[in-house]
Amino acid sequence: MKKIALFALVLVLSMSFATAAGTKEAAKDGKVILTAYMQIDPANDQYAGHNAVMAAFAEKYPNIQLDIEYASGEAFHQKFQSMAASKKIPDVFTCYGGARTAYVTETGLALDISPYIDDAFKAQFASATWLPQGSAGVLYMIPPSFAVCHSIYANTAILNKLGLRYPETFEELVAQIPTIRAAGYYPMSMGNKDPWVVNSWLLGTFIERFGGREWILKAAKGEASFTDEPFVKALEVIQAMSKEGLFSPGVNQMSNTEADQEFYQQKSVYLIDAAWRTSAMDSQLPEAQRKAIDMRVFPALPGEKYHNTSSATASEGFGIAKAVEKDQAKLDAALAFIKFYAGEEGASIRAQFGEVPSYNLDLNKFSVDVMQGKFVEFSATYPMGYVFDSIMDGEGVNLLNTDIQAMMMGSGNPKDIAAKYEAWVAKNDSNRD
Amino acid sequence: MPRLNKRSSYFVLLLPAFIIYLAIIIFPIFMSLGLSFTEWRRFRMTGFIGLQNYADILSDPVFHRSLWNNIQIMLISVLGQIPLGILLAYLLHRKWVKGTKFFEFMIFLPITISSVVIALLWNRVFSPVGIYTTFVRMITSNPDYVVKIFESEKYAMLPVLVVLLWQHTSLYMVIFLANLQRIPNSVFEAAVIDGAKESTIITKIVLPALSPVIFTCSVLAISGSLKSFDLVYAMTAGGPVNYTYVMALYLYQHTFTFHNYGKGSAVSIIIVILSVGLISLVRGIYAKAQKKFE
Repeated sequence: MKKIALFALVLVLSMSFATAAGTKEAAKDGKVILTAYMQIDPANDQYAGHNAVMAAFAEKYPNIQLDIEYASGEAFHQKFQSMAASKKIPDVFTCYGGARTAYVTETGLALDISPYIDDAFKAQFASATWLPQGSAGVLYMIPPSFAVCHSIYANTAILNKLGLRYPETFEELVAQIPTIRAAGYYPMSMGNKDPWVVNSWLLGTFIERFGGREWILKAAKGEASFTDEPFVKALEVIQAMSKEGLFSPGVNQMSNTEADQEFYQQKSVYLIDAAWRTSAMDSQLPEAQRKAIDMRVFPALPGEKYHNTSSATASEGFGIAKAVEKDQAKLDAALAFIKFYAGEEGASIRAQFGEVPSYNLDLNKFSVDVMQGKFVEFSATYPMGYVFDSIMDGEGVNLLNTDIQAMMMGSGNPKDIAAKYEAWVAKNDSNRD
Repeated sequence: MPRLNKRSSYFVLLLPAFIIYLAIIIFPIFMSLGLSFTEWRRFRMTGFIGLQNYADILSDPVFHRSLWNNIQIMLISVLGQIPLGILLAYLLHRKWVKGTKFFEFMIFLPITISSVVIALLWNRVFSPVGIYTTFVRMITSNPDYVVKIFESEKYAMLPVLVVLLWQHTSLYMVIFLANLQRIPNSVFEAAVIDGAKESTIITKIVLPALSPVIFTCSVLAISGSLKSFDLVYAMTAGGPVNYTYVMALYLYQHTFTFHNYGKGSAVSIIIVILSVGLISLVRGIYAKAQKKFE
């Protein structure tokens, strides 16, 4: 028994030494090793561009080794929060400009990279790339692209068959309902089972149409109230959409994926979704069907002040741990990586996979799939407004979302919801601190 | 080296287990208790606020609904799963149906499937694009048909309860079946020869013999009900609106989504208090019942 225990101990120790020796060997090679934690699923087609960038980076910088751990969805955040709580975060990590990864950006664990980004580099990007991030208004990451959260996909084949065209106004859209229903189609697919959908994909755009960017920033700070017209009117449009029967039956029971499938199966004429759905359409739909899909924004609302707007927010990028600043070699390597990824080389590679980068590129020289091409055109055509839930605190937004969901099911009215939300924001939202 | 006396030896031998128990059970509970009196803003503890978190939680209508939904789950567990488990176990034990092995397997099957998979399966059937909904739309020629119960404030919890009953009854059935097999067959035979009715056999032989197991199962059912999370999260995520919210979801959201660790800890303490209180109540009832059977 003693011999077995001794053998096991020796085995464990020798394995530990072997592993430790391996790390030292790599360091002796002159390589700088960066640990990385990325909210990416490299096996998913959507991230083919990311994989290509990583391969190009490894080729250009053989002296920098990224030891990457990948995770996606909520699992990413749960583990990252645990890392943040223990104050041990990787050197490079996925990071959001808003509150989503505030557990690292608001707790002093992420590096403010603005001193390391010069004006010449900044000038090569769309100006919205450099909007201040976090409550301190600094820069934690370079957004490689923009997440466009509002788009209406229209099946023009069905529209043509029914003798209809894409509506210019909300009234025109409502007037199409009887024709569409009589032909056996549903007007609009949207999956609001998770109630953030209506907020992210409609509400922000509607508020922007009625009040503009200035109004939401004022309301967030308390210089305007959520009981004001732009907010109440935006809620009224959502209520009207439900009452008029624009959505497919069971919109609040339907998941996002199910809504997409309903549209893909050509059971509905329009789909409300984010613009990043184009990559899934390119991989799942036949070419003829993709060619018949138009990407548009919501028709003009009665009384809107700003027209044809969509909504977008800076996408997540890669941040650097504050602790890395103490090691110059590591800091240089990390900065090289994030600049390569978001800069010209990374942007050119990602553009080949249909991404619209924040870096200023002539996208016409890239050959992309059908829907990705439409996304490029969409991004160039429509002005982008804000995404409501990237500005306001999550808890209040969640309260608002459930009230909107209840309203869509026939309970509650816009004025009461607005008053309840304003009361919550006034008391709790960090924008009013 | 002097030999330890018997009492000291017990302490020494128990010490490692006691340290582990302190570290993973007692310490987190006291840590949660401490955190439950604190306020958190922007991911930082901003101060001590006494019982404010508890006051906020106990006056929050979403928490009231969550608590009521947990009570419903507890009722379906204690008054549904356990009696049904006893009944099924008894039917199979007395071999009143043919193919008992087949039924044992079929009834036990749901508990072996992950809750997430079960939730996905049920959603696939009853969602607006699910098989059942599509079929009803087809035969009724009503393209607007959806299962309305999912949107009902009063009854949205019902599908979750049905799935819980279906999924967990099997576990109790297996436990009761194993314990029934410990009662010698001669006892049943003697009772039948003596002319005892089936109801008498159940109340005078089966239930007294199973009472310790019923107590254990009740404790499991109560504690399991109060921390229900996986199935509800995967099936409805608490929606629509907050109709199917449960306390564990409320805790999860405040802790991990809104990063309000103080409020989340207060919910966990409330769950602990409810669990201990209810289990003590069941223990009292069990003690009384035991006296009665004696």
